Amino acid sequence: MTSVPVPGLAAVSPLLTRLAAERATGALLRDRGTLFLEDGRIVHAESPSTPGLDVLLTTGGGLAPERWNEALSEAGATRQVARFLVDSGGLAGGEMEICHLAAIFDAAFFALSPGSGPSRFRRGATHWIGSMRSVPAAAVERETRRRRELLDAVWPYPQLDTAPVVPRPAAPGQIVTARQRALLARADGVRTPADLAWVLGRPAFHTLLDVRRLAAAGLVETPHTRPAPPPAAPLPDWMTQAQSPDVALLRRLRDALEASL
Amino acid sequence: MPGIDECLLEAMALPGARGAALVDWSSGLALGTAGESPVGDHETTAAETAELARAAAEYESFAQPAPAAPPAAPGPAGSTGGPAGLPVEDLIVTTRTGYHVLRFVETSFDSSVFLHLWLDRAEGNLALARLRLRTLAEGLVLR
Repeated sequence: MTSVPVPGLAAVSPLLTRLAAERATGALLRDRGTLFLEDGRIVHAESPSTPGLDVLLTTGGGLAPERWNEALSEAGATRQVARFLVDSGGLAGGEMEICHLAAIFDAAFFALSPGSGPSRFRRGATHWIGSMRSVPAAAVERETRRRRELLDAVWPYPQLDTAPVVPRPAAPGQIVTARQRALLARADGVRTPADLAWVLGRPAFHTLLDVRRLAAAGLVETPHTRPAPPPAAPLPDWMTQAQSPDVALLRRLRDALEASL
Repeated sequence: MPGIDECLLEAMALPGARGAALVDWSSGLALGTAGESPVGDHETTAAETAELARAAAEYESFAQPAPAAPPAAPGPAGSTGGPAGLPVEDLIVTTRTGYHVLRFVETSFDSSVFLHLWLDRAEGNLALARLRLRTLAEGLVLR
């Protein structure tokens, strides 16, 4: 679990490494998410694959949606939404930091996933949430790599990340924890791990990890990719090539049919 | 209205404190660290303590559901979710050379975080550290 440099995994995003080195400020846009940098450090991240801060904070009832909306309208234009939520007493400072950090690492995991496409950098762009805490880009890259390895160490079936979650009955005497029960109760065979993250108000990576743990424990079906159909062995020519019809036989058949009418 | 850094710094001010961290036990991520780690790498320590915390927080023998919580009935104390508090408050591991205190932090949203404090066995005061960590964990979520 130490961070031994593994060949091929060295740079999650070479562009991010470069931007961090030149202490850039702006938004790094990729297919699966956006990282916001300030002086080369990551201050915010968001991804369509992960529930945003609003979902994480309001789902459990800890923050009323009206307070979130109020913060947006009051402090959105000045790009101080997070600060406003804390200063107005909607949320404790520590809670805001905990939730914001969770959201940053969660979104970064997907934004920096392999196959997230080419990167573009919009220099100077900032996010309306404002900055609370910043994280070194290298720490985010390291954590993203650790998370990928963790998922595969738990149960190496990446198909689980995108397939609908199908619960399986627990074995007699098998322990199902409270958090697992909450997830399983909402796994209706249609919702994917991402859908469950939204419903539960938990980070998407946490849900992926929980689903892998559940699958390893046999409490969730592991979808098996159908084995690729074996390449159809070409049939020999003498089978496939149409043979010239036996004209004499056809004629005799016709004659016989006509005779029987 | 202390943040993560202030909270960890205060924990480090305890006698015999050698290292402190705020860790997410579901993923094993260190949200903040201070001082040193027993293995020289805070990320490794976070991942290892997270496994311990997860077991304690999830196994039913320790983490029994609150008795007064009928399912699907909106409780009177709706804003805080669990009025009874977290089922597990802290974990203490005593080693040959030190103490480790893991204090769970209750937030108003669905999270899984705890404070980890590593104390020197000779200089540390376990009782004091336990009380102090409780105050610090509450301070993190104090509005």
